[in-house]
Amino acid sequence: MLRSSIFRSAPAALRRAVSLTAVASPKIAAARPLASRLAAPALPARFARFYSADAGLSRDEVQARILEVVKSFDKVTDPSKITSEASFAADLGLDSLDTVEVVMAIEEEFSIEIPDKEADEIKSVGQAIDYILAQSDGMFLFVL
Amino acid sequence: MVVARKGRLTGLQRDVLSLYRSCLRAIRKKPPDSRQNFLLFTREQFEQHRHILKSDFTTVEYLLRRGHNQLETYSNAGVRNIGV
Repeated sequence: MLRSSIFRSAPAALRRAVSLTAVASPKIAAARPLASRLAAPALPARFARFYSADAGLSRDEVQARILEVVKSFDKVTDPSKITSEASFAADLGLDSLDTVEVVMAIEEEFSIEIPDKEADEIKSVGQAIDYILAQSDGMFLFVL
Repeated sequence: MVVARKGRLTGLQRDVLSLYRSCLRAIRKKPPDSRQNFLLFTREQFEQHRHILKSDFTTVEYLLRRGHNQLETYSNAGVRNIGV
Protein backbone atom coordinates (compact mmCIF):
# COMPACT_ATOMS: atom_id res chain seq x y z
CA MET A 1 0.00 0.00 0.00
CA LEU A 2 2.69 2.41 1.08
CA ARG A 3 4.97 1.20 -1.68
CA SER A 4 2.33 1.62 -4.36
CA SER A 5 1.49 5.15 -3.22
CA ILE A 6 5.16 6.08 -3.37
CA PHE A 7 5.30 4.76 -6.92
CA ARG A 8 2.19 6.64 -7.90
CA SER A 9 3.43 9.93 -6.49
CA ALA A 10 6.97 9.56 -7.87
CA PRO A 11 6.33 10.87 -11.43
CA ALA A 12 4.47 13.91 -10.06
CA ALA A 13 7.27 14.69 -7.63
CA LEU A 14 9.83 14.33 -10.39
CA ARG A 15 7.92 16.71 -12.65
CA ARG A 16 7.61 19.23 -9.84
CA ALA A 17 11.33 19.06 -9.16
CA VAL A 18 12.16 19.42 -12.84
CA SER A 19 9.94 22.51 -13.27
CA LEU A 20 11.50 24.14 -10.21
CA THR A 21 15.04 23.72 -11.51
CA ALA A 22 13.93 24.84 -14.96
CA VAL A 23 12.76 28.13 -13.60
CA ALA A 24 15.99 28.58 -11.68
CA SER A 25 18.37 28.00 -14.58
CA PRO A 26 17.62 28.28 -18.26
CA LYS A 27 20.38 25.79 -19.09
CA ILE A 28 18.45 22.90 -17.63
CA ALA A 29 15.34 23.93 -19.53
CA ALA A 30 16.57 21.87 -22.46
CA ALA A 31 16.50 18.81 -20.31
CA ARG A 32 12.86 19.30 -19.46
CA PRO A 33 11.20 17.51 -22.36
CA LEU A 34 13.43 14.51 -21.77
CA ALA A 35 12.64 14.41 -18.09
CA SER A 36 8.92 14.66 -18.69
CA ARG A 37 9.18 11.94 -21.30
CA LEU A 38 10.87 9.73 -18.76
CA ALA A 39 8.39 10.54 -16.06
CA ALA A 40 5.30 10.20 -18.23
CA PRO A 41 5.03 6.47 -18.87
CA ALA A 42 3.57 4.80 -15.82
CA LEU A 43 5.98 2.49 -14.11
CA PRO A 44 5.09 -1.06 -14.78
CA ALA A 45 3.90 -1.77 -11.29
CA ARG A 46 4.23 -5.42 -10.41
CA PHE A 47 3.15 -6.10 -6.93
CA ALA A 48 2.63 -9.80 -7.24
CA ARG A 49 4.38 -11.71 -4.54
CA PHE A 50 6.63 -14.45 -5.64
CA TYR A 51 6.62 -17.20 -3.11
CA SER A 52 9.30 -19.79 -3.39
CA ALA A 53 8.78 -22.37 -6.08
CA ASP A 54 6.93 -25.52 -5.22
CA ALA A 55 10.04 -27.57 -4.96
CA GLY A 56 8.32 -29.76 -2.43
CA LEU A 57 10.00 -31.60 0.36
CA SER A 58 13.02 -33.68 -0.22
CA ARG A 59 13.10 -37.14 1.22
CA ASP A 60 16.06 -36.21 3.40
CA GLU A 61 14.24 -33.26 4.89
CA VAL A 62 11.13 -35.30 5.65
CA GLN A 63 13.25 -38.04 7.14
CA ALA A 64 15.18 -35.62 9.35
CA ARG A 65 12.01 -34.02 10.65
CA ILE A 66 10.29 -37.31 11.34
CA LEU A 67 13.33 -38.71 13.13
CA GLU A 68 13.41 -35.56 15.22
CA VAL A 69 9.76 -36.05 16.18
CA VAL A 70 10.36 -39.68 17.11
CA LYS A 71 13.48 -38.78 19.11
CA SER A 72 11.57 -36.24 21.14
CA PHE A 73 8.99 -38.87 22.06
CA ASP A 74 9.82 -39.86 25.61
CA LYS A 75 8.61 -43.44 25.51
CA VAL A 76 11.16 -44.67 23.02
CA THR A 77 13.17 -47.20 24.99
CA ASP A 78 16.37 -47.21 22.96
CA PRO A 79 17.11 -43.97 21.09
CA SER A 80 20.02 -45.57 19.24
CA LYS A 81 17.53 -47.72 17.36
CA ILE A 82 15.81 -44.74 15.79
CA THR A 83 16.55 -45.07 12.11
CA SER A 84 14.50 -44.56 9.01
CA GLU A 85 13.77 -48.30 8.90
CA ALA A 86 12.75 -48.71 12.52
CA SER A 87 9.35 -50.19 13.25
CA PHE A 88 7.48 -48.45 16.06
CA ALA A 89 6.46 -51.67 17.78
CA ALA A 90 9.31 -54.07 17.11
CA ASP A 91 12.34 -51.77 17.28
CA LEU A 92 11.27 -48.85 19.40
CA GLY A 93 9.21 -50.75 21.94
CA LEU A 94 6.06 -48.70 21.47
CA ASP A 95 2.60 -50.15 21.93
CA SER A 96 -0.33 -49.33 19.69
CA LEU A 97 -1.41 -46.34 21.80
CA ASP A 98 2.13 -44.91 21.67
CA THR A 99 2.11 -45.41 17.93
CA VAL A 100 -1.09 -43.39 17.69
CA GLU A 101 0.64 -40.65 19.68
CA VAL A 102 3.71 -40.65 17.45
CA VAL A 103 1.61 -40.52 14.30
CA MET A 104 -0.36 -37.62 15.79
CA ALA A 105 2.90 -35.83 16.61
CA ILE A 106 4.00 -36.29 13.00
CA GLU A 107 0.62 -34.90 11.89
CA GLU A 108 1.26 -31.85 13.99
CA GLU A 109 4.81 -31.42 12.70
CA PHE A 110 3.62 -31.38 9.10
CA SER A 111 0.32 -29.58 9.77
CA ILE A 112 -1.81 -32.25 8.20
CA GLU A 113 -4.53 -34.53 9.40
CA ILE A 114 -4.11 -38.19 8.61
CA PRO A 115 -7.42 -40.05 8.33
CA ASP A 116 -7.86 -42.97 10.74
CA LYS A 117 -7.68 -45.60 8.06
CA GLU A 118 -4.31 -44.45 6.77
CA ALA A 119 -2.98 -43.66 10.21
CA ASP A 120 -3.58 -47.28 11.24
CA GLU A 121 -1.34 -48.42 8.41
CA ILE A 122 1.65 -46.38 9.55
CA LYS A 123 3.67 -48.76 11.67
CA SER A 124 7.23 -47.70 11.01
CA VAL A 125 9.34 -44.61 10.48
CA GLY A 126 9.76 -45.53 6.81
CA GLN A 127 6.01 -45.78 6.26
CA ALA A 128 5.54 -42.37 7.86
CA ILE A 129 8.13 -40.85 5.52
CA ASP A 130 6.47 -42.45 2.50
CA TYR A 131 3.08 -41.22 3.61
CA ILE A 132 4.24 -37.64 4.01
CA LEU A 133 6.00 -37.70 0.65
CA ALA A 134 2.86 -39.05 -0.99
CA GLN A 135 0.85 -36.01 0.16
CA SER A 136 0.96 -33.60 -2.71
CA ASP A 137 -0.51 -30.76 -0.70
CA GLY A 138 2.02 -31.39 2.00
CA MET A 139 4.48 -29.50 -0.16
CA PHE A 140 2.49 -26.32 -0.12
CA LEU A 141 1.84 -26.38 3.56
CA PHE A 142 5.51 -26.05 4.10
CA VAL A 143 6.69 -23.50 1.65
CA LEU A 144 4.13 -20.87 2.49
CA MET B 1 -7.92 -52.18 26.51
CA VAL B 2 -6.93 -54.13 23.45
CA VAL B 3 -3.35 -53.79 22.52
CA ALA B 4 -2.39 -55.29 19.23
CA ARG B 5 0.48 -57.67 18.93
CA LYS B 6 1.42 -58.11 15.33
CA GLY B 7 -0.35 -58.17 12.04
CA ARG B 8 -3.72 -56.74 11.25
CA LEU B 9 -5.96 -55.13 13.77
CA THR B 10 -9.50 -56.28 14.33
CA GLY B 11 -12.32 -53.83 13.72
CA LEU B 12 -12.82 -53.39 17.42
CA GLN B 13 -9.14 -52.64 17.99
CA ARG B 14 -9.31 -50.04 15.28
CA ASP B 15 -12.29 -48.48 17.03
CA VAL B 16 -10.31 -48.28 20.25
CA LEU B 17 -7.38 -46.60 18.51
CA SER B 18 -9.78 -44.27 16.78
CA LEU B 19 -11.28 -43.30 20.15
CA TYR B 20 -7.80 -42.69 21.50
CA ARG B 21 -7.05 -40.51 18.49
CA SER B 22 -10.25 -38.52 19.03
CA CYS B 23 -9.20 -38.03 22.64
CA LEU B 24 -5.79 -36.71 21.60
CA ARG B 25 -7.43 -34.35 19.13
CA ALA B 26 -9.75 -33.10 21.86
CA ILE B 27 -6.76 -32.54 24.15
CA ARG B 28 -5.24 -30.16 21.61
CA LYS B 29 -8.18 -27.85 22.19
CA LYS B 30 -7.51 -27.64 25.94
CA PRO B 31 -5.42 -24.87 27.53
CA PRO B 32 -1.70 -25.64 27.01
CA ASP B 33 -0.93 -25.86 30.75
CA SER B 34 -3.44 -28.59 31.40
CA ARG B 35 -2.84 -30.71 28.28
CA GLN B 36 -0.33 -32.91 30.06
CA ASN B 37 -2.91 -33.71 32.74
CA PHE B 38 -5.52 -34.59 30.17
CA LEU B 39 -3.03 -36.78 28.35
CA LEU B 40 -2.09 -38.65 31.52
CA PHE B 41 -5.75 -39.07 32.42
CA THR B 42 -6.64 -40.40 28.98
CA ARG B 43 -3.72 -42.75 28.95
CA GLU B 44 -4.61 -44.05 32.39
CA GLN B 45 -8.19 -44.69 31.35
CA PHE B 46 -6.98 -46.87 28.49
CA GLU B 47 -4.25 -48.59 30.51
CA GLN B 48 -6.75 -49.61 33.19
CA HIS B 49 -8.37 -51.97 30.74
CA ARG B 50 -5.29 -53.16 28.91
CA HIS B 51 -5.74 -56.72 30.20
CA ILE B 52 -9.12 -57.18 28.55
CA LEU B 53 -8.91 -59.68 25.73
CA LYS B 54 -9.72 -58.56 22.24
CA SER B 55 -12.16 -61.44 22.00
CA ASP B 56 -14.21 -60.06 24.87
CA PHE B 57 -16.48 -58.07 22.57
CA THR B 58 -19.18 -57.10 25.01
CA THR B 59 -16.77 -55.62 27.53
CA VAL B 60 -14.77 -53.78 24.89
CA GLU B 61 -17.94 -52.46 23.31
CA TYR B 62 -19.24 -51.31 26.66
CA LEU B 63 -15.96 -49.55 27.46
CA LEU B 64 -15.90 -47.95 24.04
CA ARG B 65 -19.36 -46.57 24.58
CA ARG B 66 -18.37 -45.31 28.00
CA GLY B 67 -15.21 -43.81 26.55
CA HIS B 68 -17.16 -41.91 23.91
CA ASN B 69 -19.48 -40.54 26.58
CA GLN B 70 -16.57 -39.47 28.73
CA LEU B 71 -14.90 -37.86 25.75
CA GLU B 72 -18.04 -35.90 25.06
CA THR B 73 -18.22 -34.75 28.66
CA TYR B 74 -14.60 -33.70 28.90
CA SER B 75 -14.55 -32.07 25.47
CA ASN B 76 -16.76 -29.35 26.86
CA ALA B 77 -14.81 -26.10 26.79
CA GLY B 78 -15.86 -25.51 30.40
CA VAL B 79 -13.60 -28.36 31.47
CA ARG B 80 -10.25 -26.62 31.68
CA ASN B 81 -8.18 -28.95 33.77
CA ILE B 82 -8.35 -32.41 35.22
CA GLY B 83 -6.90 -34.06 38.31
CA VAL B 84 -4.77 -37.10 37.75
